[in-house]
Formats: sequence, structure tokens, C-alpha cells
Amino acid sequence: MQTMNNDLVLQVTDLRTYFNTDDGVVKAVDGVSFALRTGETLGLVGESGCGKSVSCLSVMKLIPSPPGRIMSGQALLRGKNIFDLSADRIRQIRGGKISMIFQDPMTSLNPFLRISTQMIETIQLHQGTDKMQAKDKAIDMLRLVGIPNPGKRVDDYPHQFSGGMRQRVMIGMALSCNPEVLIADEPSTALDVTIQAQILEIIKNLSVEFGTAVILITHDLGVVAGMCDNICVMYAGRIVEKAKVDDLYQDPKHPYTQGLIKSVPRLDKPGKQRLYSIEGQPPNLIDLPDVCTFYPRCEYAMDICRQKYPPEFVTDGRAVRCWLYKEEK
Amino acid sequence: MDTAIKESKDTYLSELNQPIKGVSLWKDAWRRLKKNKMAMFGLVVVIIYAILSITAPILPIYSYKYQVIEHQYLPPSLTKKAGELMIEREETLLLAMAEKMGRNELNDQEREKLSELKARTATETRKISGKVVKVHDRRYILGTDSLGRDLLARIIYGGQVSIAIGVIGTITSVFIGIIIGALAGYLGGRVDYIITRIIDVMYGLPYMMLVIILMALFGRNILNLFFALAIVSWLTVARVVRGQIISLKNSEFVEAARSIGSSTGRIVFRHLVPNTLGVIVVFSTLSIPSFIMLESFLSFLGLGVQAPFASWGSLVSDGVEGMNLYPWRLFFPAIVMVVFLFAMNFLGDGLRDALDPKSKNKL
Repeated sequence: MQTMNNDLVLQVTDLRTYFNTDDGVVKAVDGVSFALRTGETLGLVGESGCGKSVSCLSVMKLIPSPPGRIMSGQALLRGKNIFDLSADRIRQIRGGKISMIFQDPMTSLNPFLRISTQMIETIQLHQGTDKMQAKDKAIDMLRLVGIPNPGKRVDDYPHQFSGGMRQRVMIGMALSCNPEVLIADEPSTALDVTIQAQILEIIKNLSVEFGTAVILITHDLGVVAGMCDNICVMYAGRIVEKAKVDDLYQDPKHPYTQGLIKSVPRLDKPGKQRLYSIEGQPPNLIDLPDVCTFYPRCEYAMDICRQKYPPEFVTDGRAVRCWLYKEEK
Repeated sequence: MDTAIKESKDTYLSELNQPIKGVSLWKDAWRRLKKNKMAMFGLVVVIIYAILSITAPILPIYSYKYQVIEHQYLPPSLTKKAGELMIEREETLLLAMAEKMGRNELNDQEREKLSELKARTATETRKISGKVVKVHDRRYILGTDSLGRDLLARIIYGGQVSIAIGVIGTITSVFIGIIIGALAGYLGGRVDYIITRIIDVMYGLPYMMLVIILMALFGRNILNLFFALAIVSWLTVARVVRGQIISLKNSEFVEAARSIGSSTGRIVFRHLVPNTLGVIVVFSTLSIPSFIMLESFLSFLGLGVQAPFASWGSLVSDGVEGMNLYPWRLFFPAIVMVVFLFAMNFLGDGLRDALDPKSKNKL
């Protein structure tokens, strides 16, 4: 499943992104670390507002500032820290080395510009080719993502495409400069189920073809199971569990992960059963005390959970932030 | 062959492949504009005016600055030559004088004077722009002004100046407004604050006075007039564009553009500004008449275009003196200007309805 080539493409360590609001500092991402290898697909899973998107936007330095601030941390792209680069160099990385697919294809293409204009812009910006070559490349990319008659459709406007087609265009655009990392921010959420599967298939195939590492942000555990090699489960701005996909589904360690997996409706269980749901609400990210953020909702909550945030415990080659695994360390 | 047919069938069977016939914003707007009779009338009038102004140098009209002092204040006439009008005028004058002296007929001296004039008008020639012409054979369809210049030519050339001021003033103000407004809107924060405050302060100044001061400071020529009008009139555009950009800058396509590494300038001017063009076009068509009005007002005050150049405003202001005796000098420039302003406003309103997809007056 995972390619043999194990060299690191992107390594994020201790990333903290805070937002200053009128009510106080929102610690949207508070100490996130993960690593991404060539050809790997990493899933970032979690509830809405747990910091999945913000972590990825931080990696590209796309956090609106103010109010957002990257407080600390490193994002090493092939060993070079992105946060140290000048604005110009970062622009070269965006789209060139790391590119992104957004959630809503209906709004992420400029309605006023032809598809060709937008794709050529990307290609020219990063590959310095002339316009004709860039256009040929754009047509090639559209063909790769499965748009019929790409030579003609390339000059169409976004409104002439359906949602699924636009997401294909976005994928084509994102991959047109052979980036090393593709961040897919809930690429299938806004699409209907049949199209979802096609889009994910395209992302998967192309990432294999180009050797692109993919970060897949989603809250759909089914999508993760089918697509990813590794998973990071996020809760309240922190990664609470890192594991290989199969391990995670077979044996979820963190109570939150267990809850998530239990709350997926299953066809192999007898019907007429109440669907499990995790009680309570995710915490407000302002002024969190140094406790386990999950303990109010956790069925295994212990005394220590109310006193200190758990460090990362490694059990069976898996990193879990939960006091339950302290002894096994 | 067979495969081609099969392929095309496949193409149409697949839901994803249904070609959607696109109608661009401008096509759509044009379709709606065509249904608006007033706007089309306005458009036709504006086009006629534009053609007349542009082709003025090759039109068969007299020079706008050539003076024939004898021809001053000739009334408009479609049929009569200048000479005939002069004789008529001389005759009525002499008759009136004779009547005052208690005579019903002209005396010999006066008759001789009249016939001398007749002979002179029939033969006298002058060299006008390289050609020897019989000067009194000229025809002034709209009459002449106080220096014997052809009013028709002056109105057409004046239209050239007035429309040019309207168009160039609009273009410069829109240009400045877009740049400043877009930057303020997109960059936000302190830049936005400073620019908005400057705009507020400038709004507070009586801009007519500003123009007058500028004209007085830098001399009264057309270029300075353009300049003065432009620097006081970008404020509204800047505000409008700023608002538009602010509402657009958080949209996903901007984020997408940033994620592919576009620079700020590129995002603002390539991705954002085109999205505001509809508003700008409407604003422009409606601001051309206001520029013309402004220029007319300045010319009327004597601050605008200087002789021998003319603009509609200066023609009206010339016409005001002696408007009881020579009403055509006021009447024709005023009519021409009013028709143009009406047409421009109709067109602007029509464009606004046509370009605004949410417009209530949807046609």
C-alpha cells in the first residue's frame, strides 16, 4: 500500500495557529505534528471546527492575518521550513509544490474567467512556459481528470460545468504543476454520492500516477477508509490519535476515535438500533485549561484527565494522547 | 466512422457530458438591453453623436473658428445664403430707419447702398483654408454667433470637446477609483482606513470650489480641466469598488487563487476587478452626463474651455447674452446638449437594468 520510498516530503512539527478575537485567543491549532511521505495519503479526520482546515492552511501560510497568527512550529517541505521563506518564495510553493482543492467547487473557480485562463495562469506562474504550451498542458490535465472533449471545454466558463466537473477542473488545476503535496480540503463534501466516489477515485489515481502525497481533510470516515494510508484524528486543535488505517478501524485506541467509529451507521448490524453518538459538545477553544479536552465527553474519564493534558503515548507503534495508555508506555 | 457515431452517442448519453450552452454576462445583458426601447433609443442617439464628433474634420461643415465679421448674428436658415440674409437684414434695418424719419420708401442713397451690398455679396471672394471661395455664398443652417462663425460647426466641434471631457473624465476617474478602491478593499486594515478617511475628507470639500481653485492655479486649458475633474471625481468609484471587493475578497475563488500562488496584484486586478465591471460600466455611463454638466457649468462660469475652442457649455454661455435678439444661439446648443444627456441617462438606466441579474425591472 505504502510506497517503499520512505523519504519525508512534508514534516509539520508543533504547529500552533491562534486567532485573536474579541472574546479572547482562539487556539484553533495547538501543537499539531505530522509527517507525510512521498506517495502517501494522510487523512485528517475530526469534527467541524477541530482545526483540520486551519492546520493545512497554515502549512501554506494562507491564514488570514490578522486575526490569525502562526505562533510556533515548523513546516519542513523537503527539509526547508516554509515559515521562514519570503512572501515571494511562498508564492512559488503555493500551487507549485503544495496545491489545494477546496470544498465547494461551485465557488472556488472565478466565475468571470474562462477555465483556460485560470489553468494557464497556474501553469505559467510556476513553469514559465509560454501560453500555447500552457494551454496544451491544461488540455492534457482536463483529459486526465476525465473531462470529455477537453480541447473545446477548456475555453468554457465555470458556469457551463456541473459541480462534479468543476471539482475535476480544480483537481486538474491543482495537479497541473506536479506538486509534491496535494491538500484536499473535503473535496467531496459538496458533491452527491455518485460523483463523490468518482472524484475520490480521480484523486487517488492521479496521486499514484504523479507520486503526489495527499492530505485528505474529511469528516467522512468511509472516505478515509477507502483512500488513506495513515490517519490523524483531530480533536479541539490537537491530534489525538495517529495510526495506520487498518489498525485504526480494527482497534481504535482513543475514546474519541472509538466514539467516532461507533457512530458510523453499519449495514452489518441488525437494524432498529439507535445510532451511537458522542454525548456533549466540542469545547470552546478559547482559554482551554491544561486538561484533556475530551474528558467531559469521555466515558473513561479519570482524575488525571482533569488535571493535565496527556502527552503522546506510543502503543503498538501508534501515538495516542490519552491517559488510558500511560501504563503501556 | 462507426466508432465516431458511437462515441458521439456516448457523449450525449452520459449525464456529465451534456454540453451546457453558455450565455455570457454581456450577451445576456445585450439581450435584455435590446428589449428596452428607451435604452436602445439612447444608444442610437449616442452612437450618432459619437460618429458626428469623430468625423467632424471630414464632415462638409465650415471651420469652427473662421470668422466672417460681416456675418455675425445671422439667423438660421435652410434655404438662404449668407449674402441674401445680409441683404434682407440691411433692408429691414434701412426701412426701419426710414420709417423713423417719416418716409415709407427708401431714398436713392439708401437704395444705392443696398445694391452695392448686393453686388458685393454676389462677387466678393476670400481665401479660406487655401481655397478661394465666394464668402457670401456660405449657408448657415443654424445661424452664426457674435463673430460670424458657423454655429453648426461650433456645436459639432463643441460636442467633440464635451463628449471627450465626459469620456476621458469618466475613464480617468474610474481608473483612479478602481485602483484605489480595489487596494483599499483587498488590503484592508490600516491601508483601508487611511484611504477611506481621505475619501471622506475629500467628500467633505466642496468639490466645485476645488475645481475652480485648481483651474485658477494651473491655468485654464482643456488638459487642466480634465485633470481637475478627474481628481475630484474618483471618490464615488473608489467607494463602490471598495465595497464590491470587500464582499468578494473572502470568496473561495480568491482563496483558490492565493493557493495557486497568485500575487496580490494579480488577484486584485485579474480576479476581483473583472467581477465588479458590471457596476463600473453602469456607473460610467451615468457619470458621462454628469461630467458634461460639470464642464458646462464651469464653461458657463467662464472657467472651462477657452475660445476659439467651444464646448456645449461655453456655447450656451455665449448664447445667453442677447438671448432675446438671437435666441438660436442659446436654443440650438441647449437642445443638442439636452438630447445627448437624455440619451446617455436612458442608456445608463437601461444598462443598469440589463447588467443587474437581480434587477426588479427584469425584462
